[in-house]
Amino acid sequence: MTIYHHKYVYFFPVIIPLYVFYILVLKTLIIKWRNKMILKNIKFIATTALYFLLFVLYPTFSSAEEVRKLTLWAREQGAAPAAHTAALLIAQTWEDLGLEVEVKAVPWPQMADQIWYKRGGESSDEDSWDVTMWQMVSRPERSDPDEFTVNLFHTTTAPKGYNFIGYLDPAYDAIADESRRTMDPVKRKVLIDQAQQHLADAAVNAYLVHPLMNYAYDNTQFKDGTAIEQAGMGIKNIWTYLNIEPIGGNKDLIAQSPDEIQAINPFFISGGTDSWITENIWDRMLRIGSDGVPVPWAAESYNWVDEKTIDVTLRPGMKWHDGNPVTTEDVIFSFSATQDIEMIPMYARFVKNITSMEDLGGGTVRFHLESANAAFLTSTLAKLNLVPKHYYGPLLDALKGTGNNAETILEEKRIGSGPFKFVDWRPREQVVLTANTDHFNPPKIERWIVKEIPNVEAALGMFRKGEINFISYYTGDPTVLEDITAKDGDITLRKSVDIGFQYLAFNHRRAPFNDVHLRRALSLSIDRDMMVNAAWNGNAVRAGSHVSPALSYYHKEGIENFETGIDLAKQILEEGGYKIKGGKLHYPDGVSEQYPN
Amino acid sequence: MLFVLWAVATIIFFMFRLMPGSPLTAFIGTTFTEEQHDLLVKKFGLDKSLFEQYFLFVTNTLQGNLGLSFAYNKPVIGMILEVLPNSIILTLFSLMIAYVFGIIGGAYLAWKRATWVEGVGIPIVLATRSAPEFWLGMIALALLSFQLDIFPAGGTSAPGDIYYSTLDKLLDPQFYHHLILPSLVLAVYLQGLPLLLMRSNMLEVMQEDFIFMSKMKGLSSWTIVIKHAARNALLPVATAFTLGVGFAFGGNVVIETVFSWPGLGRMLVFAVSASDYPLAQGTFLFLAAILIFMNFVADILYLFLDPRVSYKTRN
Repeated sequence: MTIYHHKYVYFFPVIIPLYVFYILVLKTLIIKWRNKMILKNIKFIATTALYFLLFVLYPTFSSAEEVRKLTLWAREQGAAPAAHTAALLIAQTWEDLGLEVEVKAVPWPQMADQIWYKRGGESSDEDSWDVTMWQMVSRPERSDPDEFTVNLFHTTTAPKGYNFIGYLDPAYDAIADESRRTMDPVKRKVLIDQAQQHLADAAVNAYLVHPLMNYAYDNTQFKDGTAIEQAGMGIKNIWTYLNIEPIGGNKDLIAQSPDEIQAINPFFISGGTDSWITENIWDRMLRIGSDGVPVPWAAESYNWVDEKTIDVTLRPGMKWHDGNPVTTEDVIFSFSATQDIEMIPMYARFVKNITSMEDLGGGTVRFHLESANAAFLTSTLAKLNLVPKHYYGPLLDALKGTGNNAETILEEKRIGSGPFKFVDWRPREQVVLTANTDHFNPPKIERWIVKEIPNVEAALGMFRKGEINFISYYTGDPTVLEDITAKDGDITLRKSVDIGFQYLAFNHRRAPFNDVHLRRALSLSIDRDMMVNAAWNGNAVRAGSHVSPALSYYHKEGIENFETGIDLAKQILEEGGYKIKGGKLHYPDGVSEQYPN
Repeated sequence: MLFVLWAVATIIFFMFRLMPGSPLTAFIGTTFTEEQHDLLVKKFGLDKSLFEQYFLFVTNTLQGNLGLSFAYNKPVIGMILEVLPNSIILTLFSLMIAYVFGIIGGAYLAWKRATWVEGVGIPIVLATRSAPEFWLGMIALALLSFQLDIFPAGGTSAPGDIYYSTLDKLLDPQFYHHLILPSLVLAVYLQGLPLLLMRSNMLEVMQEDFIFMSKMKGLSSWTIVIKHAARNALLPVATAFTLGVGFAFGGNVVIETVFSWPGLGRMLVFAVSASDYPLAQGTFLFLAAILIFMNFVADILYLFLDPRVSYKTRN
């Protein structure tokens, strides 16, 4: 029996008056009966009986502890309006379940500090977040579900990696590990489906929505139908840049970004916009196709000899931007130089699995892997940039021993073999690339330009005026974009479901989130359609797992179509032994808060 | 002056490291491993003790090395010098327009005291002073750029224009075409100070005996106002100008964001929000140095403008 100090709040104003009343009633009754023996001892008997009731029976009957006030972390209104609104709506919903929820809106650095860096601290005071709004954004390499399936939920990434929620489940690890080893797509889909279902049943996260991304272009400058949708990426992708046909006088594609372009360096993953540029200048052996599946690109073909050996044949006739031919030496250099984690920290992880490479002659390189990995094509062959050994070799050698790494390469010349050549970069203003007419798949536009425009309204204005002709990263209100599309008539707006998702993450290290019943109840109490319509203004679709419907092959059909509602949630809470008393949610009998669980 | 600079540098250094958030948050990604994290910590020098870091910071700064930016991996000094011409030109241009207009306007309003011109003029000036810069900027953009298409909507040049050096860019009339709108908007905001300052100084000066004497001498109003009154009233405004340069330098973030002008203010805001310590420290220090220097210039300026002030000892 533990002392529930807050119960004594009720004690004085309620129990003592009742006691007094009780004694008075008894006395009156006893006087009527005229039993002196009982009358003399009545106070003692009554008090003992009452105390017995209060301190022995009452606690065992109502030993339930109240669930404490929860903090729901979110980004600020201005920084992430939809997620912020969602947080407020969710807090309101949970109050109907008898929970007190405080929404804590903080800037991103503070959020990351608390949730990422202070996880699993010594006490529950340090690791003090309960639930947080979080998001995963789309990247081409996330077209393969491996990255999310493993890195977000594996026990090995819980201490310092991306499993910041602290979900530890060996059964799930087994499914995820096996999906990584399975090469056969049909068998792999079964495993990925299993993984999605396992996470949904355990309500590990409460997935909310997959946002709709908005992209637009000027259809008096570009021919409609020549922009290509890539699964989960919209029309902003390399296939559009290669295929889009300019009509009219201007043959340049002028895109915009509100973000700062930090670096254009094949060894540095420095940001979203930076990666659009890097993808254009440098080729990769494979590229993620418009259906999300990797296709041969700089490689003519590839062949799995066995599950740990793959032969990749280089396409003949490719040339670097300085005229030198692309050789297998360059291929081997591109993959081996990146294995030096001190020199190229960002990419080392993707080539860790390669134990050795052999030049088999005839343009074929054989890769020997340490362990089978179904995502090798996407996460390594379609990710590493092909760089010329004759240019970057000396540069990297010069950096050795200086204490600086490859991210500090400042050379003005950037040499790749991609469909666009680097021309000019004016920091904080624009980057200009020109079409590489010697490429095996040359673009139809003359130049690819991206302008840095931090103010989204200014970007819209420039777009309508024609100063830019491709909206590639729209952070404003979608209804505004829809309105001007309807009004102007020379704009084509394309919406697509994102690979990424927005969700609520529970801190599995803190009670009550270690209990699946509570997590399920909290998740199922949230009306997902309301999230889509009220928080995202219709610019999203329901989410039920970490695999977006945009990845149509691996997405588990119907996983986002589940029932939601307060009554359903209350039912689940009851099944778990929770009670709502006096409008407040209480733990099941005998359960109390502990940290870590 | 040097002591102030050192104190400012120390405060900046400790302030950033005590703020929540870490420069590593920019690198958080699903594939961010512990190994990478440790490497980054070593690279940024964050594994050293605070005082060790401070000592390195001071010694490096004294040698003119402001460090490498965490986010860009480029030397901070280089980055500052890159954007400096844009900021300098925008600031000076706007300040000149603002002050010329402010001085003339202030003198005029002082002359027109107690007339309807003043009654209408003062509220208008106060309105420009209190109107938010981004609102003014957006209105100007919407009207002059989007609707009437007289001016371009942002940046320092048209998309796709390439220059071979900064000097090339500065000599191109395109640059000035792009400069007009942001500097006009900034000038509208800035002219409030010199105008009101000039006006109140003029009013004071007009009460002086020598003005009365000039009127008695029969000089024309024009001569009195310009040659005698304005000249004396100008002194505080000149000081305000030098101080204004110092303040306006890094404070144009709003204008720079609205007009996509690549200046120091935007870089500073980015550095702070990304917890890029070297860049933020370097930029802040640079701005502080400019401010302190302009303060000094203001003192010296008075020496030349006001014959009554002198650094010689009084005997």
